[in-house]
Amino acid sequence: MPVAHRKKRNAPPAEKRVRNAKFQADLAPAEERALRALKQDLQLRSNTDFLIDAVALFRWAVAERRAGRQIISETKSGERRVLVLPRLERVAPELQLPWVEIEWTERELQSLVELATAPEPAPPTPALIRAMQGLPK
Amino acid sequence: MIIRRLEENDETTTFDCGDAALNNFLKRYAWINQEKISIGVTYVAVDEPASRHIFGYFTLAAGGAPHDVFPAKFVRGLPRYDLPLILLARLAVHQTHAGRGIGHALMSEVFRISLQLAEVVGCRWIIADAYRDRIGWYQKYGFLPVVGASEKGPQRMFLDLRTLRKTPL
Repeated sequence: MPVAHRKKRNAPPAEKRVRNAKFQADLAPAEERALRALKQDLQLRSNTDFLIDAVALFRWAVAERRAGRQIISETKSGERRVLVLPRLERVAPELQLPWVEIEWTERELQSLVELATAPEPAPPTPALIRAMQGLPK
Repeated sequence: MIIRRLEENDETTTFDCGDAALNNFLKRYAWINQEKISIGVTYVAVDEPASRHIFGYFTLAAGGAPHDVFPAKFVRGLPRYDLPLILLARLAVHQTHAGRGIGHALMSEVFRISLQLAEVVGCRWIIADAYRDRIGWYQKYGFLPVVGASEKGPQRMFLDLRTLRKTPL
C-alpha cells in the first residue's frame, strides 16, 4: 500500500539510530572483588548502574578541582584529609601555567645544552633537600 | 603561613621587598598577567588563606628551549616542539619579614609545583632569572648559572628536575 510504503521510507536508516555504548573491562581479580563489594555496599544491581554513578561522582570531582577547589573529608573532631588523585590534578587551575617566549642568546643556548645533556644531574644540595622535605632553612 | 595563588583583593600596594621593580611588578602587573593576559601565575605567602597581607611572592610561567639546538641523541623520539621548561620569573620577600625563611618556603613550593607539573604536562628544567647579587642564594638550592647572558640583565640559572627527583624524601 502506498501509505505504508511512505512510512517505511521516512524511518531513520539503521546505522543512524542512537545506540547505547557498550564497555568491556579487563579487571584483575582484586579489582573485580572491589567492584563487587562496592556494588553490594551501594546496592547497585548492574555494572551499568555502577558506571553511571561512578561517572557522576567523577564528573563532580573534576568540576570541583577544575574550579580550583580542593576535595576534603572531615571527621567530627575536625581532622581533615585532602583528596589528591594525580589524574584529577591534571585539571587543577594552579597547575596550568601560561606559555611565554623566552629569549635566549646563542651562548646561553649552548650553555643550556651542556647543562641539560649532562649524563648525571647535579646532586641535591643540603638547602634543596631541606626545601624538598618541607623543613625550615 | 600558607602559599596560594594571588587573588584580586590581596594587598599588593603595601608590599616592599626593597626593590622597586619587584614591588612594582606585584602592584601593577602580577594580577593582570595572571588573570587578563595569561603570561604568568603569581603565588603569594600569607599568614592564612583569607589574609591579604603578602609576606613574599614568586611568579611562574612555562617556556621552552628550541628543539634543534640539542644533539639528535638527546631529542630522539621527541616531537619537534620547543623543549618545555618552567620559568621562575620573580621571587621576592617583604623586607619586614626577611630572614624568617620565607624565601626558603617559597622555593620549596616552586619545587613542589615544578614536580607536579613535570608529571602532568612534562618539563625538564627550572630556569630562573636571578639578580646578580642573588646568584649565591640560587646556587645554594643547586641552580647552576647559564653562561652567556648579557652582563647588564639578570643571570639565568638552571636546575635539572632530575636533581629534585634524586632528593631523599
